[in-house]
Amino acid sequence: MKIPPRLTNLLIGFGCLAISSWVMLYFIINEKFEWIPKEVLELARDPELLERPEAKRCSECHEAIYEAWKDSRHSLSWTSKTYIEASENRTKEKCLACHIPQSVRGEKPTPRLDRREEGIYCVSCHFIDNKMNGPYDLMAPPHPTVRNPDYGRSKFCGSCHEKTFKQWQATKVEDTCQDCHMPRTKGRLTQKFGLNLLHKKRMVGDHRFLHGEITEKDIIVESELTEKMFTLSLLNKTIPHGVPTADNGDPRLYLYIKFFNEAGDEVDNAKEIIAPQQETELPYGKKMVYNYRLFDKVSRAEVELKYQPAWTKEKTDLWKVSVLR
Amino acid sequence: MKTLKLILSLMMLTFLAVFPVQAKDMIVKEPPKSLSKFYPPESKEPKWIQQMHKMSAHFGGVFVNLKEKDFENVDKHADKLVEEYKKTSEMVPEWEEYFDIKAAEEFAAAAKTHDIGKAGKASGKLGKTCGKCHGDQEISVWTKFHWPSFHKIKVTDPIDEKEVEFGKYMKSISSSMKGVTVNFGEGQYDRAGKALKVFKTRYMELKSTCSKCHTTDDVKLFYVGKDADTAFSGLANELNAEKPNPGNFWKNVGLLGKTGCKNCHLVHRTYSFIKEAWEEEDKK
Repeated sequence: MKIPPRLTNLLIGFGCLAISSWVMLYFIINEKFEWIPKEVLELARDPELLERPEAKRCSECHEAIYEAWKDSRHSLSWTSKTYIEASENRTKEKCLACHIPQSVRGEKPTPRLDRREEGIYCVSCHFIDNKMNGPYDLMAPPHPTVRNPDYGRSKFCGSCHEKTFKQWQATKVEDTCQDCHMPRTKGRLTQKFGLNLLHKKRMVGDHRFLHGEITEKDIIVESELTEKMFTLSLLNKTIPHGVPTADNGDPRLYLYIKFFNEAGDEVDNAKEIIAPQQETELPYGKKMVYNYRLFDKVSRAEVELKYQPAWTKEKTDLWKVSVLR
Repeated sequence: MKTLKLILSLMMLTFLAVFPVQAKDMIVKEPPKSLSKFYPPESKEPKWIQQMHKMSAHFGGVFVNLKEKDFENVDKHADKLVEEYKKTSEMVPEWEEYFDIKAAEEFAAAAKTHDIGKAGKASGKLGKTCGKCHGDQEISVWTKFHWPSFHKIKVTDPIDEKEVEFGKYMKSISSSMKGVTVNFGEGQYDRAGKALKVFKTRYMELKSTCSKCHTTDDVKLFYVGKDADTAFSGLANELNAEKPNPGNFWKNVGLLGKTGCKNCHLVHRTYSFIKEAWEEEDKK
């Protein structure tokens, strides 16, 4: 079948128009957000999203971020067994503000009454003053997003992690909470077909809120074994806050020391509990020294460091060293 | 001036009626089970005490407004008081007899005459109903619902890393301490030194335990704070010395006992005993 030349020209014309419209829209949305009049921004808004939707609703577009959040401790802040036990079945009022925050904005939040089982969810952090906030200005149905520079600042996390925030401030280290716990990679903010074509790839923070791994490079150990004393020091060299750290949780490092005689028999042992609630955490850049008086003849000491996060009684091995006399 | 004196006298009378001097042979009896539904965890909020505050606010509201001659609000508070009083009387069936609805209505009627003398006189009869219940039940209610249940707290013993009940843990701390003091008394300084490590580790674990309720540093460090650190350092220094000084040793044991153990026991132990006794009774 032969297509009439006029129809071909019309199709080409429409095609060119569609492509140039898409290019123009892509350019404005991604590069010239400020050109878009407020009225047009409002047209893009689905009013239902002003009703503090559940996280699942957000996942319709932001699937990758939703899946990451679901893997995070933030998604469990209301349902965690540890929290329920420690708060006497959630009856401790002081816990509520940070376990079910209404709106996080750089100061202590207030608790909310709805959707408690979602814990610290999308709306808690991104819905401020009746607008969707984020690290970028974005114009896309079903909601425009207003750029808020606080998303890159530690103070935002300090709304709840107050003690850790103060410890970080004191270190004067420039890397923010987000730099380590929400590392950014280039990707799409939305996975929904159509919308994903409208937005260029951007640096997207990891919403699992990664819990950094502690290695031998982070905690430096030095020791000396003499006839009467064993001296051990630990230095938190790389982590710009106390290790471990928590405002009210009880994460711990367990330091186990075993002393052996020449025959290889264990003759004594010692233990240190390194925990924020006992004020024995390892401060940034300060060597902590532990001295042990030896009552028996010791020829070897074995030092082992284990980590127990706040939400479990399970410990993970960090490192083990042997010290000879 | 005369009016002020009259108001003060009336308030004093009312206070005495509401909070009478307690009898010497007071019995602290466990509150009825039906009250539990007005306190966490059965209720999301402490509704019973909120109800007390409501009645108290309306009762006070009558006199504040009588003094200010704001009679419209006098009437409103009088009506609301009767409404809340009736509501409260239905909340705990076992306590129904403490309430005298007629006295509440008579007080409201007297308040509505806008004569402060009449209101004061009528408040006495109503106040007595409050005072009787408070005298019989207030300590029990505060003990049961406003104090923590220590025997429900679980502690992971840092020595063997097993979870134990709080009372059992306290006994472990106590025997660890005896390991130090008994050995020191016998001149077995090396053994006392070893026991001190265990005692200190267990004692310091309390910082974590206390922090479950005491979230502010000032309170958290009140029992296990600087004094405890000083005492433990002092004890370690003595036990590591060539010739330990008993005076210094016992001074530090005393410091630990007085600032840590005794202070905490004075505040918490009585209520803990009462609650535990009630729960033991329930188990029978």
